Amino acid sequence: MVGKPYDCLANPLGAVRYSFENAVAFGADPSSLNGKDWGAVDLFRNTLLDQGSLSKVPVLSARNVGLLQPNMLVRFRGMIQDMLGNEFYAGAFKDGSLWRTNKYVDVSQYLMGSSPDMLIWERHLFYCVPIPGLNSWAEESTDVAISQPMGSTPEPREKRPRDENEAMREMDESLETSPGSKRMRNDSHPSHSQMEEAAALSTCGAGALPKTEADSFSCLVKIYDNSDSELRLNDVFEFVGVLTFGSECQADNDETMDGFSGELSVHMPPGKVPRLHCIIHRKLAVHDFVHGLPMEPKPQLIKEVRQSLLAHLTAILGNDTVAAHFVLLHLLSKVHARIEDFAVGKLSLNLTCFNKERASTFGNFLCSTVKELLPFTHKMLVTIDYLNKASFAPKKDYERNRLMTGVLQLPESSHVVIDETQLEAGTLNSDGVQNARLLTSLTEFQKLEYDFKYYKMDVVADVQLLILSEGKSNIMPADLVVPFRPSSEAAGGAVLAEALKAWRWYLVTVRSLPHSIDPDLQKVVENDLVYARQSKRSLTSQDFSRWLTMGRLVSLSLGETSLSLEHWQTVKELERLRGERLG
Amino acid sequence: MASDSSPPRFNYGASSPDDSYSSPIPNTMSSPSPGPRRGRRRSRSSTPVPNPSRFAATPSPAPMAATPSSSSEYGYDAGSSDQMYVWGTNISVQEVNAAILRFLRNFREGNVAADSLEEGKYMKELDRVLELEREWMDVDAADLYDYDQDLYNKMVRYPLEVLAIFEIVLMDIASSRNPLYEKHVQVRVFNLRNSTSMRMLNPSDIEKMVSLKGMIIRCSSIIPEIREAVFRCLVCGHYSDPVRVERGRIGEPTRCMKEECAAKDSMQLVHNRCSFTDKQIVRLQETPDEIPEGGTPHTVSLLMHDKLVDAGKPGDRVEITGVYRAMSIRVTPIHRTVKSLFKTFIDCLHIKKTSKSRMQTDDPVEVDNGFNRIEEDGTFDEAMVKKLKELSKQPDIYDRLTRSLAPNIWELEDVKRGLLCQLFGGNAVRLISGASFRGDINILLVGDPGTSKSQLLHYIHKLSPRGIYTSGRGSSAVGLTAYVTKDPETGETVLESGALVLSDKGICCIDEFDKMSDSARSMLHEVMEQQTVSVAKAGIIASLNARTSVLACANPSGSRYNPRLSVIDNIHLPPTLLSRFDLIYLILDKPDEQMDRRLAKHIVALHSEDPESMQQDVLDLHILTTYISYARKHIQPTLSDEAAEELTRGYVELRKRGNFPGSSKKVITATPRQIESLIRLSEALARIRFSESVEKHDVVEAFRLLEVAMQQSATDHSTGTIDMDLITTGVSASERMRRDNLASATRNIIMEKLQIGGPSMRLLEVLEELKKQTSVGEVHMSALRNAVGTLATEGIVVLQGDSLKRV
Repeated sequence: MVGKPYDCLANPLGAVRYSFENAVAFGADPSSLNGKDWGAVDLFRNTLLDQGSLSKVPVLSARNVGLLQPNMLVRFRGMIQDMLGNEFYAGAFKDGSLWRTNKYVDVSQYLMGSSPDMLIWERHLFYCVPIPGLNSWAEESTDVAISQPMGSTPEPREKRPRDENEAMREMDESLETSPGSKRMRNDSHPSHSQMEEAAALSTCGAGALPKTEADSFSCLVKIYDNSDSELRLNDVFEFVGVLTFGSECQADNDETMDGFSGELSVHMPPGKVPRLHCIIHRKLAVHDFVHGLPMEPKPQLIKEVRQSLLAHLTAILGNDTVAAHFVLLHLLSKVHARIEDFAVGKLSLNLTCFNKERASTFGNFLCSTVKELLPFTHKMLVTIDYLNKASFAPKKDYERNRLMTGVLQLPESSHVVIDETQLEAGTLNSDGVQNARLLTSLTEFQKLEYDFKYYKMDVVADVQLLILSEGKSNIMPADLVVPFRPSSEAAGGAVLAEALKAWRWYLVTVRSLPHSIDPDLQKVVENDLVYARQSKRSLTSQDFSRWLTMGRLVSLSLGETSLSLEHWQTVKELERLRGERLG
Repeated sequence: MASDSSPPRFNYGASSPDDSYSSPIPNTMSSPSPGPRRGRRRSRSSTPVPNPSRFAATPSPAPMAATPSSSSEYGYDAGSSDQMYVWGTNISVQEVNAAILRFLRNFREGNVAADSLEEGKYMKELDRVLELEREWMDVDAADLYDYDQDLYNKMVRYPLEVLAIFEIVLMDIASSRNPLYEKHVQVRVFNLRNSTSMRMLNPSDIEKMVSLKGMIIRCSSIIPEIREAVFRCLVCGHYSDPVRVERGRIGEPTRCMKEECAAKDSMQLVHNRCSFTDKQIVRLQETPDEIPEGGTPHTVSLLMHDKLVDAGKPGDRVEITGVYRAMSIRVTPIHRTVKSLFKTFIDCLHIKKTSKSRMQTDDPVEVDNGFNRIEEDGTFDEAMVKKLKELSKQPDIYDRLTRSLAPNIWELEDVKRGLLCQLFGGNAVRLISGASFRGDINILLVGDPGTSKSQLLHYIHKLSPRGIYTSGRGSSAVGLTAYVTKDPETGETVLESGALVLSDKGICCIDEFDKMSDSARSMLHEVMEQQTVSVAKAGIIASLNARTSVLACANPSGSRYNPRLSVIDNIHLPPTLLSRFDLIYLILDKPDEQMDRRLAKHIVALHSEDPESMQQDVLDLHILTTYISYARKHIQPTLSDEAAEELTRGYVELRKRGNFPGSSKKVITATPRQIESLIRLSEALARIRFSESVEKHDVVEAFRLLEVAMQQSATDHSTGTIDMDLITTGVSASERMRRDNLASATRNIIMEKLQIGGPSMRLLEVLEELKKQTSVGEVHMSALRNAVGTLATEGIVVLQGDSLKRV
């Protein structure tokens, strides 16, 4: 890096300025630069992605937000919770004879007179929150990163914060909702009691989806040069950009706009909600959260991992092999296409015959296992009281001009365990009825209705739903209803960290494999369906859809990309076993 | 020269950030006053003085008493060498001035010869403004475009300047017509050619005229904004001249103007002598249909002045025309340093409410009843209309629309055709005598569970104008019609509309019709034929319009349809209500291998990797709704002679089918209600083709649709013929004949065996006797009881318990 007149990591704005001046010097017309990049993004992309120094960029999180300096380069992984439209700013202006830019800053670094040569540019505002339900094992570690850039610009203050940070991290660790997870990863031999402890802890937090301190943290991301069409609500992104705590003036309430106090700076004080002027952003998918073990998806390996995962699930479910199979298929499901109202590929699972007692043993084991396997998980304990009080869907608050989040505003591929075992007879108020309706439509269509007061808007979702209930759930008509028949006590057994990693990798990899059905087999399947319907009139298109989804998942679970007759037979066998249980 | 049209100082500079801080838009000023006036020809190359802003440039056209008016007065006579330009452009003020004048004077609607003696549209309009002493005049931008495209473009590009000139010209003309007219007339432009999407607003739109559609979500309270301030000296009590707002600020006089006093810093504002105007900030949000998937709605702030204040309420859908502005944010009110941020808002010029439904069936409600402009409806722009017309020309449009209707529900082609007719609707006719015939088509779907009836209902609900969806189980009579409540705020009793009234001119979808309570159902009788809801409750007696089509669906009472019973027995609906449905479809789940195979194919295709391939050639929802709403609005088909003839012939033939040769049995196969239904259906079919006249083949198709529906629901299973009595009375003619036979046979037996006043006879014995007679066939006890009941009413027998007595 020696010899470069800028340092992307330590002084990002310097680098921006440098590239801007360069561009202007090479004859770029500043007025044509609106919404375009003049090379700054390439510069950063080059340094961060290609030269691999991305890991040196500190991660912005609730814990270290107090320690980061303004104007430093940070990265932030979050979900777009709300879109706040666009903002116009003086993009470039002439300072004397020199063009200056205000890109990536809140307040001009130079004194801006009322220069006539000023260009108004726009940027888009996104309100981002940490990914809801992100499990601790999937978090990006922050400790390495924070010391790195500081090291290059030594400051007297530097040492203390780091110690503080360390201390805080330790504290956090002990307060972690499931300490079992950490230990499991670290010493790889968690005892049975530890597992139980973890399970117990996760139940006390249940009722509401976990809302810890960290979740109230949020960040206002300003995106440049991009039409907001590629960033969608509830998408998970990694943003790299310049951090500011915005000196957005307090004297904002000027005469013209005093009709509304709902301006940004009032409800999002820059001290609490840091601003991030995004230079590079990239969309994250689930596999970005599963670290390590980049294995080749060899068929043999996949089958082995599948076997061990299935064995583990069976053990957890008290030797109920059938249920374990269905759980595995359920964990692999995702919405892969939408045709009209129909979400193809969803496979919600309702395990019935769960009473309170079973829920506290098997249910908790299952929850904690899911938590270990998938990056974004939630648990929801549905009671009458909870249905009446919680806000499930996001609601627009026009006073503040913000979309207030609801517990079901979740990114793609979230997993929610819904525990209905504590549901008792009671009266639902209108909110409760509404909430129950939302759950129903989420299970049926994978859509959530956002409340914009004057109208409702359906927003598509892709949430895996696992429902535990005593009888068939009435609120949530799941695709699969499987009566749970354990034959022994739940046995978690010791889980090796390596095994856990392999399972995570397996779920993520296999889930995203392509899939097809050969024309020959299509014929077979068609005949089977026709035959089935001839013999049993009550079969509906939903049943057929479920069979085909299961067929897809069975072949994916074996690492294969096209349906074979054998898989189809497995599906029919599973359905038969399920039918027997349903009686 | 006394011409007073002091032109604005056009030092226009979009780039100076601090200029926008002053009072809002010029042309919304209402109280003209003799303000400080500038020399009229000075602005040309004046250096951009740190901007006095175009607001300051507000033309302050004083009531120009006694200004003799001739065109040269404001013509900036061509001889004058120094042309004025709008600052930073090559737009000549004089040219614009002349162009506007030409437009106002000469624009006439229609193809009136230019030299016609009639006055121009806007001259007439101006007269009306003067007469009514209004403060604004609406100008249709489409007129402007037709007359002078160049001027239109200039206006859109430089609205502030052009509108300022516009008003000057207008005021000049006004003063020439009525020298004493004191009010300032604003120009309100509406109906721009291109309506921008809120999402597309970007820096290049700043200071341009834009037109947006959206929904009002918040209105601020009304803010009084100072226009002119009056100060008083605390020392001597001298009142200053009114001080006008300059750049959003009032220059407080530093010393008393009275020469004798001249005290320093003694002036104090006198509130009640200042003049104020109303101002309001309104927030507009994108309408749901403009939001792309995965986005949240954008909002934009609007600034309303004077008459526009409170013109819209939260929840209203409006189309506004205004000037997009950006305003820099000061760090503090005192400091001149500005932040690099801008606030944007739209200075509103005109607001127009649009109706709430997706398919516009009503004329949009206008905010101000300006002049004739209701003709145009913004939703159908020319390109769209052209596209729709092209679509309608296609020979297979009927099939194509049928395919596009709920494409994910396969089969049920004829049901979909019926629903399509319902969406398009027939013509409502109101005779001079007061009799009216509904144009709405009512449809009932009866069928086995799991045959996607509800899905169809939901789909129609989404598609239809003002669709209301209710479930029979959850609806009460008042919920459907109207109810009286106390207003929580005022405590007055108010009439609240129920579902049927709310879906006036729309489709009311009622699911689980059979589960509806009888009282609720009885309300439907009036709605479905008279199309009104009459209420007499708590001192309110009213008849509300409910011109709604009813789409209902019902499950057979025994969960599965029993083909041996009639429709009435299957769904337990009163025949009176049933006969009000134009079409009754039975959707039965028949074991049909062909259909199962198609279903299987569909699902397999759905799940194989390539979902696009199965998308048939269907119209998307948006096109479909526009197509339907255009047809409903613009196409009013009438019966052609040929079609009318076919209708009569077909009806007679249908009636004839009830007469079996050589039999006295008469079955009613069609009633006058059917002929009305047929007319409606054929009108709807003509509408589908965008045809103004109903052709013969429409009638033929209508007969087919009716027959398909009747065949399913009104077929007498014992004879296999259509029998309307099944629907009108619930009893088929053959059944009735059987009953008659039984009754007469019973009578014969009684006549034979019993004497008047003699011993009684048990029913079982009668049954035995009947069974001996071959002519009656199988007889059940219940049938016998019915027969005896009939005889009892005739006064022949008395039934006591199980024994019969002749009297």
